[in-house]
Amino acid sequence: MAQAKNPKGGKDNFTRNLVIAVVLGVVLIMLVPTLLSKKSNTNAATPSIVSVEDGYGMVFNKELKDVPFIEIYEDFQCPACQRFEGIVGEYIEDLINTKKAKVAYHPLSFLGPESQLAANAAGCAADEGQFIQFHKLLYANQPNENSGAWTSSYFTTLSLGLGITSKEYEKCVNKNEYKDWVVNVANEGAKRNINSTPTVFINGKEIDRDKAYNSLGEFMLAVSKA
Amino acid sequence: MKNRFVILQPWIGLVVRLTLGGVLFLAGYLKVGTPDKSQMAVRAYEMLPISVANLLGLILPPVEIVIGVLLILGALTRVMAALGGFTMFIFIIAIAQAWARGLNIDCGCFGGGGAVEPGQTKYLQEILRDIGLVFLAAYLIRYPSTKFSLDKNQNRKSSQEEVA
Repeated sequence: MAQAKNPKGGKDNFTRNLVIAVVLGVVLIMLVPTLLSKKSNTNAATPSIVSVEDGYGMVFNKELKDVPFIEIYEDFQCPACQRFEGIVGEYIEDLINTKKAKVAYHPLSFLGPESQLAANAAGCAADEGQFIQFHKLLYANQPNENSGAWTSSYFTTLSLGLGITSKEYEKCVNKNEYKDWVVNVANEGAKRNINSTPTVFINGKEIDRDKAYNSLGEFMLAVSKA
Repeated sequence: MKNRFVILQPWIGLVVRLTLGGVLFLAGYLKVGTPDKSQMAVRAYEMLPISVANLLGLILPPVEIVIGVLLILGALTRVMAALGGFTMFIFIIAIAQAWARGLNIDCGCFGGGGAVEPGQTKYLQEILRDIGLVFLAAYLIRYPSTKFSLDKNQNRKSSQEEVA
């Protein structure tokens, strides 16, 4: 300020310093942590069914050849994903159980922290062999976006209903053990240009956005054509 | 009339500065906590290579916050108004090309973004709003001296210019 009052109208050091402070402050407080949190970690702990070469997705029937490969990008908080699950969820489950398709689930977390926690918990449930059931249960209990309802203790309680009582599961959820994996899934999704959820590929081709997301018949047709 | 404008101009400038700065700050603030979404919003314009879009999605919100805060404080008003106006100009081009190409996206200006259902787009409102903001920026570039601004020197100089 002293400089600013300089009657000779010298350089305004106060403003200059303030500009530098604001720029540095925002870079250090916001940009750097964001960039660090978005960094992929190739050593990340992953659920056992994760396939790194399939964009860190959780893959069912990985060993099958000559069957359609269905890839699902979803966010557990997204209402359209809930709708999609309601329409085709059971059919996909059926395809997995009868070994008629290879299916990869990519839990994205772009809607916020509760999506991140849910994705982590889903990975933990996968280690208990209960991913599909947990997946269904999450959508059945989907709250409003980031309402604060989805916490670690919510997920551990929720999965009691599936008979998951193991200490490892509880630890996995509480410690957010697959945090880095969730970041990796998000980064791979970003690289693949996933711009909305759900996004579904069958054998590498996105299904028809106008039809196959809203109708079981159209979806089955898309699978049978593959 | 001329005299009245000389008196009112710094006050109009204050309102303009706080509006433009406030909008930019809010836009950045609402996006900075959801980097995945912000990246998605930039990608959805289908203008840039994916890796560049993803980087821009991370950088844009903090940049908006910096320009917004400095405008609110009235530091380097003219420079920040020019940067803010330039940003808005780019947004207008981006939204217009999305509209012209028939993409169905939300501008993602204040969070949100990405694909939306056909018929849910608001391109016209988004463009009109950004044009309005470009005019605010232009005003501040022409009349950078405003009330309660940190740009004391510039204030004195430019108000002398005004009077002369």
